[in-house]
Amino acid sequence: MSVISFGEIGAIIIFFIGVYGVVARRNIMKTIISLGIMDAAVILFFVATGRNNVAGESITGITTVEDALPQALMITAIVIGIAVTAVALTMFIYLYHKYGTTNWEKARKMRDEE
Amino acid sequence: MNIPLWVPVLLPVFFGILTYALPGKLKKIVTLTGEGAALTACLLIFLQCKDSPITLSLGGWNPPVGIVLHADEFASVMILLTTFLFLMLTIFENKQKSANKIFHMLFLILEGLLCGIFLLDDLFSIFVLIEVSTIIVALLIMFNRGSRSMYDGLIYLLISIFSATFLLFGLALLYKQTGTFSLSLLGEILQNVQNTQSLYLPYALILTAICLKAALMPLFSWLPKAHATPGSPSVVSAMLSGLYVKSGIYLFIRCQNAFSVIDTQSFFLIAGIVTAVIGFVLAIAQSDIKLILSYHTVSQLGLIMIAINMGDEIAMWGGLFHVVNHAIFKTMLFLGAGEIIHEYKTRNIYEMKGVAKRMPYISAAMIAAILGITGAPLFNGSISKYMISHGTSNMVGEMALIIISMGTIISFLKLSQIFFGGNNKTRVKISLNRTLVCVILGSICLVFGLLGAPIINLLFGVSVEIDVAGYLTKSLIFFSSVAAAWLIYRYLVKGRKLWNHIRKFDLGFNTIALSVVLFFGVLTAYLYLV
Repeated sequence: MSVISFGEIGAIIIFFIGVYGVVARRNIMKTIISLGIMDAAVILFFVATGRNNVAGESITGITTVEDALPQALMITAIVIGIAVTAVALTMFIYLYHKYGTTNWEKARKMRDEE
Repeated sequence: MNIPLWVPVLLPVFFGILTYALPGKLKKIVTLTGEGAALTACLLIFLQCKDSPITLSLGGWNPPVGIVLHADEFASVMILLTTFLFLMLTIFENKQKSANKIFHMLFLILEGLLCGIFLLDDLFSIFVLIEVSTIIVALLIMFNRGSRSMYDGLIYLLISIFSATFLLFGLALLYKQTGTFSLSLLGEILQNVQNTQSLYLPYALILTAICLKAALMPLFSWLPKAHATPGSPSVVSAMLSGLYVKSGIYLFIRCQNAFSVIDTQSFFLIAGIVTAVIGFVLAIAQSDIKLILSYHTVSQLGLIMIAINMGDEIAMWGGLFHVVNHAIFKTMLFLGAGEIIHEYKTRNIYEMKGVAKRMPYISAAMIAAILGITGAPLFNGSISKYMISHGTSNMVGEMALIIISMGTIISFLKLSQIFFGGNNKTRVKISLNRTLVCVILGSICLVFGLLGAPIINLLFGVSVEIDVAGYLTKSLIFFSSVAAAWLIYRYLVKGRKLWNHIRKFDLGFNTIALSVVLFFGVLTAYLYLV
């Protein structure tokens, strides 16, 4: 098994900062931002992993280049991340217009009263 | 004729775009043509799969680099079920005004995505399709822009993304160690792994995301919100509850096969039992017809989870057959419920009276579905439940299954009071296409029950012998549990205040997110400690 690189450790830390944000913050905006942070952390991890394969076993059989597959996949992941954030923000704007709050708990109370 | 495997994935998407691009008058014809063509393609693929599983490498690239589509018997049954139910739902919704171009486009694209999830062998592509289908489902949930469905849709969307990020992180860790995303290749590679400990973390991350999709306890809180939100069209609820959650179960089976070196059967068996019990307790407490049905979905998913983790061949096939059965009767029940809500303008089951007189055809189909779901003899649920109970080796397992079945019966006794009473006896006019769909789905419940063994053989290629004596014993157990359930309902459920407190059980977003993290923690701890 390959050694864990600096980038990967950073990615793990950032990922769990994002998880903390989703779990502990009541603000819907901050939830969406935290999800973005988690997404970015995973992308960082993938890219850092690709670098690790330079000296190790590369799946393409050529050992002098880095593994390009994670980076190619991450372009897809970035695009999906953008799409998801856009949809989430749009829905949040609708919710804000209806309820006038950015707080999960307040929105829930208003929903139950309807 | 050989149909390439990308056809059921791309054909609905293509027709979806066509529906949107062409003038509005054509939308019905185009949509129905698309659905029909997809169903035909899936039928041909299903017949082809009878001989041998089909594999298709996209672009000629093989794994570990390329993406592979793979159809075995289970996958081909799932795509057949998907296309069939989508066709039924489209026919059902066809005359509705709210079903505009965008609705049809989203619906068709979702059909393609679901087929893709069932056929793909590549975990990263599955992740992509899960994310895209999450967005589409969220849009469908809030399609009518009711403010409550806005909240429910947002919770559904964000929680799904949250767990999908776990999945992606698990994939990153997995890729670092194995260098591939292909499920079938992983299954081969991981057989030779000596030190399975390094796989625990990616496994736990991936399974957390999949269990959230399969609505396993404690990750189910998003499901009733998403499936029963007021304002979302009843076809959407039916599709979500009948079909969409099954993709979670399907991926669970796939991943468990790939990670067969890690033994977590007993963990998921217990989780399944807990899910099934909590599901029906919450279902009994509700008085909103859609909520009863959606909490009941949670309970049945628990039952399927039990079946596939028993480690028994016949129980496993019983579980898979129950996936098909549940898709059919739950779809039927949600469609019927939607019609009733539309007519009575309420969702409270205590305010609905005399449905049997006013909507005879829909009531008949709903009663067939209810008999199926409770496992009454001669109906489809009884066959799958009979097969599932084959896997119980001791009294405890047997008792657990009987209790779960009894809980189902209690919740449906509560529901079935809507058919009786009431003074208003005028027939409600229901358009022909809706009646037709309901009758077809209702009669499938009966046919699958009467011809249980041949149909299982046809679908999965497994021959099951249904022992008459054993089946009769099960029928006796069914009738005695109906009697017991009625007594329990009459004296312990009806009018008790305790249930009002249970009904209020509802988790906010942060608590659901916390439960995802806790589930991940517990699963990881279980893997390292046990």
